[in-house]
Amino acid sequence: MDSINRRHFLKISGISGGGLLLSAMIPFGCVTEEKELIDWEPNFFIRIQSDNQITFSCSQSEMGQGTSTGLAMIMADELGAKLEDLKFVFAPGSEEKFQHLQDTGGSNGLRMMYQPLREAAATTREILIEAAAQKWGLPKSNLYAEDGMVKEKGSDRLIPFGELLEVAQNLSAPSEIPLKDKSDFKYIGQSVRSQKSKQIALGRLPYSIDVKLPGMVYAAIQRCPVWKGSLISFDDSEARKIPGVIDVIAMEGTELQAMDYKGGVRPGVAVIAENTWAAFEGKKALNIEWNLGPNAQKSESDLKKELEESKTNNSIVSFDFKEGQASFSKGKKILEASYESPFQVNACMEPLNAVADHNGYKVEIWSGTQAPSLTRERISELTKLPPAAITVHNPPSGGGFGRRFFVDFVEEAVILSRQLKRPVKVTWSREDTIATNKYHPYRVEYWSAALDSENQPLGLSYHGVVSRPGGYRPYPYGLPMIFHNRLDYKEGNLLPRASWRSVFAHPWGLGMECFIDELAFEAGQDPLQFRLDLLDKSEVFLQKRLPYVGDDLYPQKLKRTLEMVGEKAGWGKSKEDNVYQGVSAFAYNTSYCSQIADVSVVEGKVKVHKVTAVIDCGLAINPSQVKSQVEGSIIWGLSATLKDAIQVSNGAVLQKNFHDYDLLRIRECPEIEVFIVDSDDPPSGTGEPAVPGIAPAVLNAVFAATGKRIRKIPIANEDLLG
Amino acid sequence: MAILSINGKRYELDLPDNMPLLWVLRDYLKLTGTKYGCGIGQCGACTIHLEGEPMRSCTLPISALEGKKITTIEHYADKKVLHPVQKAWIEEDVAQCGYCQSGQIMGAIALLDKKGRPNDEDIYNAMSGHLCRCGTYLRIKKAIKTAAQNG
Repeated sequence: MDSINRRHFLKISGISGGGLLLSAMIPFGCVTEEKELIDWEPNFFIRIQSDNQITFSCSQSEMGQGTSTGLAMIMADELGAKLEDLKFVFAPGSEEKFQHLQDTGGSNGLRMMYQPLREAAATTREILIEAAAQKWGLPKSNLYAEDGMVKEKGSDRLIPFGELLEVAQNLSAPSEIPLKDKSDFKYIGQSVRSQKSKQIALGRLPYSIDVKLPGMVYAAIQRCPVWKGSLISFDDSEARKIPGVIDVIAMEGTELQAMDYKGGVRPGVAVIAENTWAAFEGKKALNIEWNLGPNAQKSESDLKKELEESKTNNSIVSFDFKEGQASFSKGKKILEASYESPFQVNACMEPLNAVADHNGYKVEIWSGTQAPSLTRERISELTKLPPAAITVHNPPSGGGFGRRFFVDFVEEAVILSRQLKRPVKVTWSREDTIATNKYHPYRVEYWSAALDSENQPLGLSYHGVVSRPGGYRPYPYGLPMIFHNRLDYKEGNLLPRASWRSVFAHPWGLGMECFIDELAFEAGQDPLQFRLDLLDKSEVFLQKRLPYVGDDLYPQKLKRTLEMVGEKAGWGKSKEDNVYQGVSAFAYNTSYCSQIADVSVVEGKVKVHKVTAVIDCGLAINPSQVKSQVEGSIIWGLSATLKDAIQVSNGAVLQKNFHDYDLLRIRECPEIEVFIVDSDDPPSGTGEPAVPGIAPAVLNAVFAATGKRIRKIPIANEDLLG
Repeated sequence: MAILSINGKRYELDLPDNMPLLWVLRDYLKLTGTKYGCGIGQCGACTIHLEGEPMRSCTLPISALEGKKITTIEHYADKKVLHPVQKAWIEEDVAQCGYCQSGQIMGAIALLDKKGRPNDEDIYNAMSGHLCRCGTYLRIKKAIKTAAQNG
């Protein structure tokens, strides 16, 4: 997996073959040359070798969101290298090198790495320029870096980076490190194809599910179907008859940790086999007796009750509550609404999997994880081995969306490998990933508003998932707002939690953007203009959330996306028969996204014809990938709005596979047009900001079409008939 | 013992008759371009060509495949010149995570073999059995049209 080893391997094959490869790569045809190869690693992101190979070590995980391509573009631009010449490696988990910044979530990859990566690349470039200046006896100011070479201005004198290493590796960094001007960027701001495009088109991108180690066995686990249940006994006699089954063993769970990314492995029974299929078949043949535990009788209706209870006597945490309360005492009328969203599951196309080789004193792991650094920390805690004994290789994954930030699926492989003393690959069947996974929580959000005698809103009050407005307030509107303590289930989770693309912003956005629409209707105003006016009444809100800084909220930025989307989607202009529009506006971290959905409802059936979206994500590093992320977010959100729900009965998930948890398909995919606001602000995230806004845009369009307010997703046809 | 012909090569396999082709490809023949997605023919990630027809290899027991021509994504990967569908996939920057894309590409190649100039309805009919969680459908549609023009 290590690029350097692979290069050596290539060269050695060249030597043994005695062919052209040898003469092309090692001019003097001598193996001892290998030892003189200078391999300079000025920082953890860059490695330059005297054969001019430049390697970019990508700290962030790649799961399809395009961060690795964006980071490579930043690197190539600031260093002065050709993007296509950069060799890619994904850095194994390392707290020492990258802290937990390496762990990729919250649409933070480019946002957090933009500045440090530029500084690392610029420092390297300046050292190389200094080396050339010394070598040539020229002032630095006459030199610049381009295409992996240092060049002299106004002459054709040039020298490749690789030939400067002997000097460069002994230099200190200059005291002034200038960063490049935007006008000098060759790649940033251009649409660049994903660096993995070709490998994917050839079917050759290696995922961890493709890993095969010598002596490796394949495992599948039947996990307890009810969260917090336990294993009583099992009969494996039928399972053992299946050809290829090697062993069947009980699997202890792990405790869910205070930081819920760690732990929470369900107890179960593991089938060990010679291939994946035998392990899956063996699992089906098990006869298991479970103690289903405290959740055995529960369903969502119990959760709803718990949330309602949590709402009574819930205390106010808002800092502008006096203004809010005053608005409620002045109000002539109260408008109330609640919005319900079900459990959801990530259903990444690559089912969860991990390969672990625990040999007693060190552990090597291959897993497409979003959190290689956190994984290493957790596996160290679990095995009582020092972090230095744990290697977490982090190949690209087949989708993460938050789920792969959690470590449980790696813990399973490590536990089994420790027990079996050989490499183990644990593969989740699709049924496992739908029915015994970790889930985006079921939520109900409660909103109310005080209206004056003209039905104009005076203030809002909210009970739901978002709390602590002093630390984080994604609320952009200029109306006094009473926040309350976060609503929680009194008896804990019915299903364990996972992050799901946009996380708690999804229920929050659903409630807020539907309720604002309801207020506009009550006030007799156009819903888009109503939002614009409220944004004008709002002020910049500086967040205090740490360690992530910069979540400041600029209502005028949101307003700009809303104005633009109105223009682009032809808001207020006449549409085809039966087509109605709904709008939403949403701030997510430092990104802003407004959307308009064109929808028709015929015989209770909702059809989304088109979605127009405008995003302000600061400087768009790679517009093609920004657009893919917004398109993907909308399609993700439409699956949840129109089709999917995870439902619980007697503590167990009812859905089993894609036949009953069916994602949006190509035929159902609307036309999507994405526009990017031109901005020179630092880049912010694009992987999630468009998710929360799509359900409200569609529901608001459904109201425009039918006059019916749907406050629960996915939309049920029966709510629109009758 | 099953004797299979995959990408023009002959394989003698001493494996259970009811083992689906998918797992033979992935766990024994190192042909891992074909992906496991659901195991019940609902997602299309494991699509291969059987006598030129797109089929879900997760539900094809090897006993049913003797004497039949099996083609996987590796057949197209090992050629010197990329297939127009692969070229279009790269050109249109279709893939995000990429996991479903071998199956999507195999579906698209089979479609274009039958219908050189597919319209939207043809594309929906051929490709609605392929799930993509990243949401690349619009680019898939575009890439199929690009491939049709360039093929």
